[in-house]
Formats: sequence, structure tokens, C-alpha cells
Amino acid sequence: MTKEEIISKAIAQNLIKIPGQVRGVAFKTDAEYILKEKIEEDLKKLETELEKLGYPIKYKEIQTMSFYPIGLRLISLLLIKKIFNFDDKKINDIGFRATKKSLIIKLFIQYFLSLRRVFFDEAPKIWQKHYTIGKLIPTELNEERKYGILRLENFNLHPLYCCYLTGYFSGIGHMIIKSPKITVEEIKCVFRGDDCHEFLIKWE
Amino acid sequence: MSRIFNQMGVKNNQNKTEQTKISTLLEDLASLESYARDLFSFLPIPVCFISSIGIVLEANPAFGNFSNYEIEEIVGEPTDKFFNPEAIEEISRETFEKSFIKGKEIDLVTKQGKEIPTIVSTVLRKSEEGEIIGYFIALFDLTEIKKTERGIRNAQTALLNMLEDINEEREKTEEEKNKTLAMITNLTDGLLVFDKENKLLLVNPQAQNFLNLEIKKVINKSTSELNEILVFKPLIELFGREIKKIFRQELSLGKKFVLEITTAPFMVDEEKIGTLVIIHDVSREKLVEKMKTEFVSLAAHQLRTPLSAIKWTLKMLLDGDLGKITSEQKEFIDKTYISNERMINLINDLLDVTRIEEGRYLYKPTPTDIEAIVQFVINSYKDEIEKRKIKLDFKKSEKKLPHVRVDVEKIKLAIQNLIDNAIRYNPAGGKVIINLKQSDDGIEFSVKDSGIGIPKEQQARIFTKFFRALNATRIDTEGSGLGLYITKNIVEAHGGEIWFKSKENEGSTFYFNLPITPPREKFEEFIKKF
Repeated sequence: MTKEEIISKAIAQNLIKIPGQVRGVAFKTDAEYILKEKIEEDLKKLETELEKLGYPIKYKEIQTMSFYPIGLRLISLLLIKKIFNFDDKKINDIGFRATKKSLIIKLFIQYFLSLRRVFFDEAPKIWQKHYTIGKLIPTELNEERKYGILRLENFNLHPLYCCYLTGYFSGIGHMIIKSPKITVEEIKCVFRGDDCHEFLIKWE
Repeated sequence: MSRIFNQMGVKNNQNKTEQTKISTLLEDLASLESYARDLFSFLPIPVCFISSIGIVLEANPAFGNFSNYEIEEIVGEPTDKFFNPEAIEEISRETFEKSFIKGKEIDLVTKQGKEIPTIVSTVLRKSEEGEIIGYFIALFDLTEIKKTERGIRNAQTALLNMLEDINEEREKTEEEKNKTLAMITNLTDGLLVFDKENKLLLVNPQAQNFLNLEIKKVINKSTSELNEILVFKPLIELFGREIKKIFRQELSLGKKFVLEITTAPFMVDEEKIGTLVIIHDVSREKLVEKMKTEFVSLAAHQLRTPLSAIKWTLKMLLDGDLGKITSEQKEFIDKTYISNERMINLINDLLDVTRIEEGRYLYKPTPTDIEAIVQFVINSYKDEIEKRKIKLDFKKSEKKLPHVRVDVEKIKLAIQNLIDNAIRYNPAGGKVIINLKQSDDGIEFSVKDSGIGIPKEQQARIFTKFFRALNATRIDTEGSGLGLYITKNIVEAHGGEIWFKSKENEGSTFYFNLPITPPREKFEEFIKKF
């Protein structure tokens, strides 16, 4: 890795090889977040860094509904964190805000009729609409005690992505649960030695 | 093999076709997304989509601008954040029941906590299975309309207040009018009210009674028309068809029925809007006055005969016709003689007054040289002037004055009264300046003294019968208070005018002006008053 490189080309080449694809909407919501928090030049800086790594993508030209390599998305997210010096909370916030702008989420709004239905029927579908890898399995929902658990299997991407997904699930939670306080916590993680990821959603 | 290859080729072709289709569909979907986003963003009306559980799932930029929240701060938030919970609950319930709402008012709460009045329309959204997903809500800003409405309401309130005030004023005016009418009706004097065109508007019961009028026949009639009515004729002749200003002029409607008429125009902003004619019955006063005059006349006549007898007896005593008297006796008789003379003068004055009042004051005008009369009177005061060391200056006219038609005796009396006052109320060594000159319309006589003057507050009564100024009574206790009254009547009987200027302790100047030829009718008119 040269002095100028934020991520080495070698790492990038390894990441791009990760199998699986993700919808363009994920790149779009990332770009919108940067434009909101930063300025246009910052987005160009990100594009320049990507180009340096050999991936000359233009965020504005990305098609929302098209599929792109998930490795590229991970490279983009890692660059965002490093270029803009974002902490995990910020990455979590990118995930949270993505739900409010995501077209796919909007398309699924019509199914947000009941918590149980969204949780057990729609959540796995929403995942599949976004990602070609990994499997989201709702394991438990207790409306009386106000919590639910979502399990994510076969998705061993990067710990940074766990932060993103925690925010993302929290955003969806806000859309389907009318509560003054909703929290999401990753209670199991493959990067902590667990066999899968598990996210505990709690509300008041 | 070839079949296998052919089959593989077909499969490859099919895959390519499928991929092309998917690619086209994705492009179409992206275009559709762009179109939907642009349409939603372009909408100038604030719109949001609310889920069936009351969470905002989507909002357009107009809603963001309207509420001052970022879209991220709106989506995923409960509706209570933006609307009054009860009001939005009511709107949700109604939308679920009726599928839509049109024109319901609700306040939107902005990020700054400001409440904006809006009118909302909603439309229900259902899934393909017919389940309620939520509803769209569109808001229309009512701020300006409310402001206008408030303005209209304020204007309406102001108008109502004004109307109330007007009603109040009208009631007050009505009350005032009733009071005025009650006063007019119950006034002991008769009142006639004419409008600015001199049409009779109102006759109070007293006027009706005095003039024996039939209201219907006179009301709304002009003075010209009223002049044709017998009872009104003398009245119109008195104040004219234009109703000139007159003050306490008498009108005899029969031997014992005398009315005193005063006219007063009433003005608004210097514009005459009508005239008030006040009719005061002075019949009783006139009768009493006449009886009084007759009594004074009788008493004076009765007194004059014995006083004349006393005078001649005293004269004989003083002249020694009845024998020699001592100097002490002479002194007493002298004093008695002077007192008796004063008494005779007083009686003569009283008789003059009664003659004036009874209209028997004889008037025999002859062309006369006034200067000669003035000189004659001055000469008659020669001894008195010397005795009191009065400096008397008679300033005659440089050019020859024309003769004036006057009753010599009466004018002599008038001049005598004025010069007598000037000497009498002047301190020893004082000054008297007599001036005689031709004026624009006759001869002007004036006599100026350096005497006691007339106190300002008593000047208005100076020509009144029996009135004597307070400072004059201190100096001379003998005056009758009739001199100036008689003088004024004589001057006015000749069609002249009399006036004065005076300052207490500095002196007085009395003036009169006589026309060369006095109008006879004026004298007669004057005499009629008495």
C-alpha cells in the first residue's frame, strides 16, 4: 500500500472477489448521505479514490435497481469511513438513513400492515430484494415484551457492515413500530466467533 | 453432437434474450423511479404518506419545506410529531371510514413549534388484497386565508362596534331631541323655528296660543306665504321675509296684548341652518309699567304745585318782601331754597320721563345752529366752572356747520345733561373738552372730562333709568339717575346715536351724533315704544 493509498489495491482486489451482489440503491443512499453531510467535492474525492483502485464508478450514474458486486460496495463503505474519518456511529447512521430514502423500502411499504407480517414474511423478502447472498431469518417476535430477533446467515462480509446493518434494521423498525424509542443490537456476530449474526430489536 | 451443440446454441440465445429483457426492465424501472421521484419532488403542495399505524413513511420536499424538517427527520416519525394527536387521529379514522377527506382543517406544527393552519385532503391506499396500507395526506396552507379571515372578522367586529356606537349615538340624539322637544313644548315663551329657506318648521304650543294659529295652515309655509295669513302679517312686517336679526322688539296685537319678539339665527360652521323666533308675552309688564308711569306722573304733578308755592314763598322771604331777615335766617332759607329747587328739577325730570314713556314728549324740529346751543349751555355753567376752577375748552369746527333740524329745548337739555355730568364728576381744577364737528352723516358732539370715570362692570347700565354708578353716588348724593336716560331718549328720538368711552379714575368721553334731518318716522317709531 502506497502512502497515497487508503486501501491497498491488493486488499481491494480480494474484496471485489467476494461473491454476491447488492442493489444499486445501497450505493445511492451512501452518496446521498455524503452529499448531505459533506459537499459535492467530497463525493468526487470518493470516486477518485475508487478510480485509483481501478473501479471508476460514478455514483449518480448507478442504477437503483441494478445489481453490483457486493465487494465493490464494501470497498466503497471502507473508503467512506477512512476518507471522511467516520466512526461506527456514523456508519450506523448511514444504514439508518438509507431506509428513509430507499426505493425498495418504499416499494415494500404496502406490506407494512402488521409488525408480525413484516417481521416474519416481508423482512426476508426485503433482504433478498437487496442482496444475492446471505439469508435473513426472523427467529423470535414478542410484541408483548416488545422485542424481536433477526438472524443473518452466510453473510461474512466485514465487521463494518455489521454497523451498517444495525442502523438499517433500526430504520426499518422505526417504520413499522410506533414507539418513542427503538434500539437494535447485534447480539451475535461471526466476527466474534458466532456461527451467524443476530440482531435484537427492542422498543418501548 | 451437432444437435447437442444446436441445443446449446438455442439455450445461449434464450439466455441472451432473457438478459436483454431483464436489462430493459431494469432500465424501465430506473426511468419509472426517476419519473415518480421527479413528480413527487415537483409537487408544490406538501404531501406525505402515513401508514395505517400513524407513521410517516414518505414525504415530498414541499412537506419538508413547509414543516422545516429534513426528509430524514420526517420519514419513520409518528404523525403526532407534526399534528395535534387528537386531530390527526380524527382525520385518520375518517379517512379509513370514507376512503378520503376533502377540506378538513388541522394545524401543522413546524420544527420551530409554530402552528400553521392548513386544510387537508386525504386519500386511502389499499393493497391488492384490499387491506388498508395507509393514506396520502395533502396540505394547503391557510395562513394567508386565515389572516384575511381575521382581517375580515376584525373589520366585521369594528363595523359592528361602529354600528353599536351609531345606534348609541342615535339613541342619545333621539333622547336629546325628545328633551329639546319637551323643553320647547313646555317653554313659557312662544317659539317658531324656521329652516334656512325661511319655511316654518315648528310651532310650540305657546306660540300657537299667542298667535291663535292652526298648525296645519302654517307649518312648512314660507315667510312670503305666512305674510298672507292675517295673524302673521305684523310679525313678518317686524322681522321681514328674510327674518332679519332683531332683539326684544315689541309687537302690539291689540291694546292690552304686547309681545316682545327676538329672532336668533342658528349656525353650524358659520352657515345659517335656520332661525329661531322667540315670542315673549310682555302684556302684564307693560300694564304694570303704564300704571307706574301714570302714578309717577300724577304724583309729580301733584308735588310740583306745592313745590312751586314753596319756591315763591321762599323767594319772597329771601328778597325781604315779607320783612327783614337775619343773616342766620337767610342762610337756612337759602339752603331750603336750593333743596326745593333740586326737588323741582327732580320732579321735572320725572315728568319728562313719564312724558317719554307715555309718548307725549313733544317734538318740534326746527333748523338750528347746534354750536349756538352748546355755547349757550357752556355760558350757563360759567359761574360753576370758575368756582371749581375747571379748565373748559370748546373746540369748534373750523368750517361752518350746517343747521340741524332738532327740537331746541330737548337738545339743549341733552347737551346740558352731558356737560353737567362732565363738570359735576370732575375734581376741582379738572379738564373738560367739548368738541363739535361735522361727521359723515350729521353733526358729532362730544364732551371729555378728567373725572372719576365709570367702573367697567357698571358701564352697560349707564343709560338705564334711575341708575347711578357707585363712585358717582359717593361724590354726589343728590343725582336722580335720570339725566343720561333722558339724554339717550332725546338723541334717539332725533334719529341719532349716543355712546361713550370711559375708564375709572381717568375720565369719560360722551358722544352723540345727530343726522342733519331726523327721519320723522324714526321718531314716531321710537315714541311708539313707550
